[in-house]
Amino acid sequence: MARAMDNICENILKIDRLKKSFGKYSVLTDVSYSLRKGEIAAIIGPNGAGKSTFFNLITGYHHVDGGTVHFLGREITNWPRHRIARAGISRAFQVSNIYARLTTFENVRQAILAQEKRTLDIFTPAHRLAEKNTLELIDLTGLMPNRKHLAGILSQGDKKKLELALALAGKPELLLLDEPTAGMSSEETQETMELVKRLNREIGLSILFTEHDISVIFGYAHKLSVLYQGMVIAEGTPEEVRKNEEAQQCYLGEEV
Amino acid sequence: MKNKYLFPVALFLLAIALPYIVPEFWVHVLTEILIMGLFAASFNMVFGYMGQLTFGHAAYYGVGAYTTGLLMVKANVPLLLCLPLSMLSAGLCAAVLGYFCVKLRGIYFAILTMAFGQLVYYIIFQWYSFTGGDNGLQGIVPPAFLGKAANPYYFFTLIVVAIGMIALWIISESPFGYTMRAIRDNAERTEFIGINVQRYMHLNFIIAAMFAGLAGALWGPFNRSVAPDLCNWQHSGMPVFMTVMGGPFNFLGPLIGSAIYTMLMAFVTSFTEYWPMVSGIIIILVVLLLPGGLLGLLEDKFPFLRRKDDSEKGAEE
Repeated sequence: MARAMDNICENILKIDRLKKSFGKYSVLTDVSYSLRKGEIAAIIGPNGAGKSTFFNLITGYHHVDGGTVHFLGREITNWPRHRIARAGISRAFQVSNIYARLTTFENVRQAILAQEKRTLDIFTPAHRLAEKNTLELIDLTGLMPNRKHLAGILSQGDKKKLELALALAGKPELLLLDEPTAGMSSEETQETMELVKRLNREIGLSILFTEHDISVIFGYAHKLSVLYQGMVIAEGTPEEVRKNEEAQQCYLGEEV
Repeated sequence: MKNKYLFPVALFLLAIALPYIVPEFWVHVLTEILIMGLFAASFNMVFGYMGQLTFGHAAYYGVGAYTTGLLMVKANVPLLLCLPLSMLSAGLCAAVLGYFCVKLRGIYFAILTMAFGQLVYYIIFQWYSFTGGDNGLQGIVPPAFLGKAANPYYFFTLIVVAIGMIALWIISESPFGYTMRAIRDNAERTEFIGINVQRYMHLNFIIAAMFAGLAGALWGPFNRSVAPDLCNWQHSGMPVFMTVMGGPFNFLGPLIGSAIYTMLMAFVTSFTEYWPMVSGIIIILVVLLLPGGLLGLLEDKFPFLRRKDDSEKGAEE
């Protein structure tokens, strides 16, 4: 019994024959995928391969046309977005998706208040709540110098950091990062990915990310999948995928 | 910290002093300013804080006014009890109608709120046996302890409106209030941090309607009557005008807007019947020249008026 449970829980995310089309245009034809608990996995593929759509289906942004999504042994296919977030999947968006007219501090506090289920409180002044946790997370993500600025005026790199902070505030078990380092300088990229790695090591956070930067993928991912024309065509350790001919032709070949 | 309470406290003291200085006609105008100010502030919970334009807010104001009117005329219920009951009936009405409205956003939200507002208007307009139809309800007399003069009812209104405004202020500064700002800025992201956006919008819509109902409840005894026009779409436009004039990004903006609008109307109508034309010109000027309303302009010119952000205090430690 205990073993059976282990087997179910070992895969934090299990996706079976996922399909999605927009009108006549089929984006994902048949994607099966699984992610083990505590793993850092990357998905690559040329533009339009369906990476973002894949994330959008997992997090409930788009309606799944066919197939199933299991998270921690529970089926979450087509759950409403907020329920999937509550269940433990956070995501950071490719194009930063933040609260432009709130300060950095207020952005992060909002996400933390949501996680702490305090957002129905209509009596306590918000500035008395969640201050410690908010500052901790701001410090962790390297946003301390920007905490008082309106999020709308932050640099692209800082917006991406804030994006990550909002995702982390939900205390997720699975973190989906859609091109987390796009728009960042090479130092910022390094800092961000080191943070991701640290979270993975220290609290066992499972991470699934898409990325164009090959050095980031080979430096941080345990597992790499190649998405091409709506299907996973190659999967394995980054080294294995590098040697895979089909994958090279479809994607890696372009870069070499 | 203390600085941000200076302006509202000064306003309140001014509101206490004014009736002893100005003639009785202007005390009536002041009473109207307060009632419409609370109405506009409740509207701004949806407009300024949640980022949706409701064009049917008068329905809830009217439901509040009729609840108090009917209870007082037909059942002799004391006014003090009518006030919470009016909030309740307006809130219930918003719970039903708002359920559908919050499924939409932007112009569609505005149109559906307006359509529901007109629905309420026509029901009240047609239901002669219950609401008096287009005759309205007459003989809504304030309780004896408020007498017949203008001042006592003004002070009663001042207290109720002050309590209402403080309650709205507390809500706007609460985690719920910040969740409204979050939904206004980025509803999509708010879903992904785990918030059921529709449900929160619905709740805020109900809260806003309850305070509109409270404002409406104060109107009947002030005017000694209520009429279906209180629910009509023209009346829904008034908090929109007032809020845009005063400044939707300031908590007190709608109240200031109500003061400007109501005083101008009282002043202009004393010598010409073309008030709608005058108000139209003013609106055009405000929208073109002062996109942040009057308070927005003052804050730009005098930065010390700007509300210091609460988060700064937290971040400095």
